[in-house]
Amino acid sequence: MTKRFGEFTAVDSLSLTVRAGRIFGLLGPNGAGKTTTIRMIVGITRPDEGTLELFGQPVTPELQNRIGYLPEERGLYKRMRVGDQLKFFAELKGFSGRAADEALDRWFEKVKLSDWKRRKASELSKGMQQKVQFIAAVLHDPDLLILDEPFSGLDPVNVELLKDLVLELKEAGKTIIFSTHQMEVAERVCDDICLVNRSRKVLSGSIREVKSGFGRNAVALRFEGDDGVLEDTRLVASVERHSDDLEALLAPGADAQELLGRLLAAGARVSRFELVEPSLHDIFIEKVGGE
Amino acid sequence: MTKFRAVVKREYVQRVRSRMFVIVTVGAPLMFALFTVVPILIANIKTGGPTRVAVVDESGRMFARVRDSLKSAQPARDDDDDEAPAAAQGAMNQNTRARMEQAAKAAAQSFEVEEVPAGGGTPEEVRARLDGRVGRDELNGYLVLPRDVLSGGEVQFYTRNVGDVFTRGQVRGAVVRAVRDARLDERGVNAEVMRAVNQPVRMKTAKAGGGGETDRGQGFFLVFGAGFVIYLTILMYGQVVLGAVIEEKETRIAEILFSSIRPFTLMTGKLVGVSLVALTQFAIWGLALVGLGAYFAGRGASVAIPQVSLGVYACVVLFFLMGYFIYATLYALVGSMVTTSQEGGQLGMPIILLLVVGFYLAFPVIRSPNSSFAVWVSLVPFFAPITMLIRIVSQEPPAWQIALSLGLGFATVAAMLWLAGRVYRVGMLMYGKRATIPEVLKWMRQP
Repeated sequence: MTKRFGEFTAVDSLSLTVRAGRIFGLLGPNGAGKTTTIRMIVGITRPDEGTLELFGQPVTPELQNRIGYLPEERGLYKRMRVGDQLKFFAELKGFSGRAADEALDRWFEKVKLSDWKRRKASELSKGMQQKVQFIAAVLHDPDLLILDEPFSGLDPVNVELLKDLVLELKEAGKTIIFSTHQMEVAERVCDDICLVNRSRKVLSGSIREVKSGFGRNAVALRFEGDDGVLEDTRLVASVERHSDDLEALLAPGADAQELLGRLLAAGARVSRFELVEPSLHDIFIEKVGGE
Repeated sequence: MTKFRAVVKREYVQRVRSRMFVIVTVGAPLMFALFTVVPILIANIKTGGPTRVAVVDESGRMFARVRDSLKSAQPARDDDDDEAPAAAQGAMNQNTRARMEQAAKAAAQSFEVEEVPAGGGTPEEVRARLDGRVGRDELNGYLVLPRDVLSGGEVQFYTRNVGDVFTRGQVRGAVVRAVRDARLDERGVNAEVMRAVNQPVRMKTAKAGGGGETDRGQGFFLVFGAGFVIYLTILMYGQVVLGAVIEEKETRIAEILFSSIRPFTLMTGKLVGVSLVALTQFAIWGLALVGLGAYFAGRGASVAIPQVSLGVYACVVLFFLMGYFIYATLYALVGSMVTTSQEGGQLGMPIILLLVVGFYLAFPVIRSPNSSFAVWVSLVPFFAPITMLIRIVSQEPPAWQIALSLGLGFATVAAMLWLAGRVYRVGMLMYGKRATIPEVLKWMRQP
């Protein structure tokens, strides 16, 4: 899909496939085009070029009812009772009546806000409002849930609470698109990711694939003895020294086992030798920060 | 359709439940009552007993007439009044004058009249004695009728309370009637004959060729009233629509809404919801008015209901709705272009201007309702609600013109709603900056 605003191209030929029943992380720095992409998925704007299919069909207003959306810029009607406005949002998704009332009570219970149902939104703290907004996204039991920076501004306890609820929804077979620039959160929650930067896709795939495909091979080391081996550029590309241990980035094609063998052969006493996976954070910095 | 209903329901329920609605609904009629009923009630407050007036009749033959006249006292009419400067009379508008008379009538009081012989000393001594009695509160005032009262001599009324215009008016009226009757008698004209001669002439204006029963004057007031109500409603509820549109932008709810509902449906739902609030308010006021009318009718007051054909009533309702929707949509359009309420207020000013122009166009249309100017003006959607109504009650325009006017009006509403929804949706994506006209034009073309 491509979306332009005047001269500015917000999303440039982006292709995504979100697999059903999994959590898909749409990652990228601020201004990368995440929110514009999401707005096209939920039907707020249409792509200038390209097509979009949901559940194997072209997007129609009826399909919107099967999507739950928690926008990054979110709000509530200040003077309206929380329960009433949640029912209103659900009704806009074609979900109303007794079933809606029951679902509402269930969700209020889950996020521990039952006592606040009849209060006005302006009386709620910011964290409470955020939980209410989360309910607005999930109340109508959508098959696809889109969360744009869902945890920003929440305290750790509530982050855990919402994260567990998201995982619970995944267990129930829902598909979740999760947009964030907080890599630690994404790493813990997502199955698949797509990293976008400057309107374009940088990389995508399952977390496993992304990490192994990243081609970075690092070893965390602690030893006493001769460190001449580390000078061999055929084996070690670079070394980063910390207080009492160091991280060695292996040269392309080099084998960690060989490094260990050479160290032992040189008479070093190794107290730590660990293959380190690149974190999403590292990948993010490498792919985005270097520019 | 269920989404549309949800929006309408939310707008309606939230607003009708709000404290503001209750305050305005109850408060506005209370204010109205305060300004119409209370002055009468206050004027009705009777302080003290009957007004005691002494009459010094220097002419020697007027006392009986003046006494009888005072006993059946009625306030002097303005046309008898040579005391009030003409300018002041002109400044007093019809309404105030009517209210004054009404108040005076309500304040009509009884008089106790006593004769003071003019011969009991010099005029100065008589006056000094009477002044003393007024000072001791034995009298409220006294009249001095000069010898030549019938040929233009000046009557003097000395009173404790010069500011009491009601009493003054009644005394004046009584003296004027007494003197006139006496003058007529003197010339051998029976007072009864004179009254018969002075019967007011009544004139009724009816449309030529019509049945002649319909009083167009009443219809006219109905239309003018409706025009005024349209004007007020648009001002009041236009702001409500503007606020409603901006609220969702400011609170960022719009993004959730647009992921669920089409902008056109949302806009239409809002407008209909708010219009129902307005209609509810009018229904409450209407019922209160009918109740009040019944109450006063029960107490003997005459309650006039404009007697116009049902068709005219239907037109009033139709054009009222059309006017509301046209201007409310304009407000919605403004709301969709701006980001804060302050900006909305500024950008909303031209709408008020348009409204005022529409209101004043009523006057040339009244004068020549079938001129081509009137025809064109009554087809322009922004002016039609008031001008077409005026044409309908004055000289019924051809049905096709009414239909065309309505058609154009509601087509404009639909077009502007569509536009507003479009501008709103795109404008929402760029917070913090007001849309420029070229931008808006570009958004209109965007898919």
